[in-house]
Amino acid sequence: MKIDLKGRLTHKSERHSAGVSQQSGFPSPATHYREPSINLHQELIGNSDATFFIRVCGHSLSEFNIMDNDVLIVDRSVPPTSNLLAVVIRDGNFEIIRIPKEGMTESMIFWGAIIYTIHRAR
Amino acid sequence: MIALVDCNSFYASCEQVFRPDLIGRPVVVLSNNDGCIIAANKEAKALAHIPMYEPIFKIKQQLVDNDVTFFSSNYTLYAEMSQRVVNILHRFSPTVEVYSIDESFLDLGASRVQTYQACGQDLKQTIFRDTGLPVGVGIAPTRVLAKLANKMSKKLPEFDHVCVLQTEKDRLRALRWCSINDVWGIGKRHADRLRRIGVHTALDFTRLPLAWVRKEMTVVGERIWRELQGERATELIIDPRIKKGIGTAKSFGKKLKDIGLIEEACAYYVSEVAEVLRSQHSCASTLQISLTTNYHSNKDAQYSNSITITLKIPTDDTFVLISEATKALRAIFKPGYRYKKVGVNLLGIIPNDHLQGNLFEDFSMNSGSLSKTLDQLNVKYGKATVGSGTLGRRKKEWELIKEDRSPRYTTQWKELLTIKV
Repeated sequence: MKIDLKGRLTHKSERHSAGVSQQSGFPSPATHYREPSINLHQELIGNSDATFFIRVCGHSLSEFNIMDNDVLIVDRSVPPTSNLLAVVIRDGNFEIIRIPKEGMTESMIFWGAIIYTIHRAR
Repeated sequence: MIALVDCNSFYASCEQVFRPDLIGRPVVVLSNNDGCIIAANKEAKALAHIPMYEPIFKIKQQLVDNDVTFFSSNYTLYAEMSQRVVNILHRFSPTVEVYSIDESFLDLGASRVQTYQACGQDLKQTIFRDTGLPVGVGIAPTRVLAKLANKMSKKLPEFDHVCVLQTEKDRLRALRWCSINDVWGIGKRHADRLRRIGVHTALDFTRLPLAWVRKEMTVVGERIWRELQGERATELIIDPRIKKGIGTAKSFGKKLKDIGLIEEACAYYVSEVAEVLRSQHSCASTLQISLTTNYHSNKDAQYSNSITITLKIPTDDTFVLISEATKALRAIFKPGYRYKKVGVNLLGIIPNDHLQGNLFEDFSMNSGSLSKTLDQLNVKYGKATVGSGTLGRRKKEWELIKEDRSPRYTTQWKELLTIKV
């Protein structure tokens, strides 16, 4: 048995749901057109069991478009390929880097890939 | 084949996922109210002179001297990490028995012979990759043998945390390796007795006549004997039966003399256990309240008592239970003592669809709807957002001390892991 789940999980689609009208007067003409509301988790998160949210504190990552107080969505199951933004451990501390062309260096341990940055528009 | 997957020093490992500076260093986790050590990682266990289960105030200096990092227990975090692991296990098998917070059995079915080792490796690597938690995997034809394989996977470095017992040779080697007191399900008393009659290993045990085992160790012993032979005598428990008792007993943050505060704490615990009761769609017919002073203190006068009351009709209603619990508590409370702990136990638990009304009591099916509304509100807006007025507002006065609790990294926006850049 070999199960490989590095990419997105496919979810069972939860789209159309027929129902009984909740209105007491004239039944809603929309009854058979109901769909679940937009759910950010569904769109942004591929493997929820491997996904962690991390807050960034400080201004030194603006070159990566990561600002003070942003929240990173980090997926541990995305493999560390070059050019990817990643959370790594160096000397026991967390760091955020762009993985170089040559790949990870030996002094670093990959913790997870940054797949989205939640940034508050100001 | 059955796999047993368990997380290595689970509580400490959960902490280390978010604290890489602690990897390779001794870490311990303390019980509720920081009473004693309940978990230690490999590095902390190697410091043999640190006694588990010793009151923490006696050994705090030792921990500091040995550079051991300690945490108050963070069950919110541990439960969430545990759920992630269980979700991942379901990718490997539809049949998963969650045995405890850090241990699950999987039915791997009858895959092809050479794939079990690969499957075990894949389980180990996927769980580590996705969650950061190291696990051990034991794979064997029965639960008891899987447990044994799991033990070998950790104790013998050659296995590197994945051990498959597949052939007869593997099985005999495992049985020879395992001492009788390490066999899953054989308690200390039986183990002592077996050793006296010359049974030292699991292999010796399987050579006893089954009739003797059945006579001396009942059907439980017989099942272990059969499972060690490779014959499946227990099945995975996928849908755990309704719990027979639900209880909680936690120490207060400080010793309490005031019955008002104890009543509040008691009501709070009742509302917690009632919520569990409702979540499994059952009612309790008996309520047990216990009250104790601090038996570790030699300065204080000691008193402890407990009371068991049978409810007129089984209920899952928080308000009925709180009112009964308060009456019970008043019956055993004696003024003048400094109390350390109140315990609440619900017993005689019956599934809702088996309820029988009492001929002389008003038995309204609607009685619990207020409690159900409470549950919904508390799920939506956070634990204990709404509750009975008895809960009061003085929780700070009796709440557990969790001074050294780590952030709830995975469930609270305000406590996310923070990286300074």
